[in-house]
Amino acid sequence: MAKLVEIMGITHSPNFPGQIAGPDPEPAIIEAARDYEQMRKRMAGFRPDVLVVIASDHLNQFFMDNMPAFLIGKAPRAEGPFPHELRTFGIAPYRAEVEVDVAKSMLQLGSKMGVDFSFSDEFRIDHAFTVPLNFIRPEMDLPIVPIFTNVMAPPVPPAQRFFEVGKAIRRIIDELPSNKRVGVLSSGHLAIEIGGPKEGRSSSDPDFDRRMMNLVGSGDVETVIEESTWDRMLASGNVTPGFLNFVLLMGLADGKPPSVSGVRFPKSKGSVPYMAWDSEVEVLP
Amino acid sequence: MSKYQVDKVMREVVMDGKVASMYRADTEKFLEDRELTEEERKALIDIDYATLYRLGAHPFLLNGFTRLVWKGDKAALNTEYRKNIAPFGYPDFST
Repeated sequence: MAKLVEIMGITHSPNFPGQIAGPDPEPAIIEAARDYEQMRKRMAGFRPDVLVVIASDHLNQFFMDNMPAFLIGKAPRAEGPFPHELRTFGIAPYRAEVEVDVAKSMLQLGSKMGVDFSFSDEFRIDHAFTVPLNFIRPEMDLPIVPIFTNVMAPPVPPAQRFFEVGKAIRRIIDELPSNKRVGVLSSGHLAIEIGGPKEGRSSSDPDFDRRMMNLVGSGDVETVIEESTWDRMLASGNVTPGFLNFVLLMGLADGKPPSVSGVRFPKSKGSVPYMAWDSEVEVLP
Repeated sequence: MSKYQVDKVMREVVMDGKVASMYRADTEKFLEDRELTEEERKALIDIDYATLYRLGAHPFLLNGFTRLVWKGDKAALNTEYRKNIAPFGYPDFST
């Protein structure tokens, strides 16, 4: 039986690493960078043997010719991001071994737990994976199991389904035939608009960001699901459904409030959230 | 209306620099065998992003595509883009 040791959710904004590294970062960026350094230490403190990384794909690997809702990657290695993302954002690459045995077991257990995951033996991971991995495990020394979610191509599964899939992944990890310590890292974001009329320098809806982070922080699953409808999220910003990956984490945490959570509001780009659920208090940094 | 075909063209151009060069060099030839409406074809040739937006092109792809193939002043494009698509609100971009 594997042990779920830590659940963590952070942003995958491809702009954030550049904002930190750039000249004269604004106070909210400096604070957010500190938050993320704490998150890195937090995950390391729980000594995971494998990271299950749950993130979306931005129509890079998967497209509407064959769009999976939830997919487990089981190729031997995961590398990213895509060349055009490197050019556009100047972000760092990432390369990790995939824990193929765990990926296969998760696939097999999925159906038993009510989720028929798709799978892939050949894929790249885009910035939704590489950005959070570079923050949380820059050493690139841990194997991962990548799980892709569709938050980009409607119809995307509703929030209730993301929550249920999160609950199922928790039960799957509990039943894995190994003694591995499993950390879960997910990436998403709050309100954001790209290619729409509201696109600007800061969050497209700071009220949505504050409200949702308060609800996540208090473990109010019911209200989060009720308010995370496609239309409501789109009204906050046309790419906001990336928030659904955090709803999935609420399911993984069995509806409990996170041990820590927070959000920074830079003026220069979207809000920078973090949330983590610890399984053990004694190993905290 | 063939939103999927429009999205497919934009994705190919965004993801591969060589494809983007081919697209820029002869857009009409690039689109020759694509199953597009005349309105979509013309909008792609003219880089008429406002029409593509109105027709339900995926905004995430449209954003990257327009910035990549835009022939005019890219700094001015940012402001113009928002202003020119605003009248159309939020068209359904599901395929």
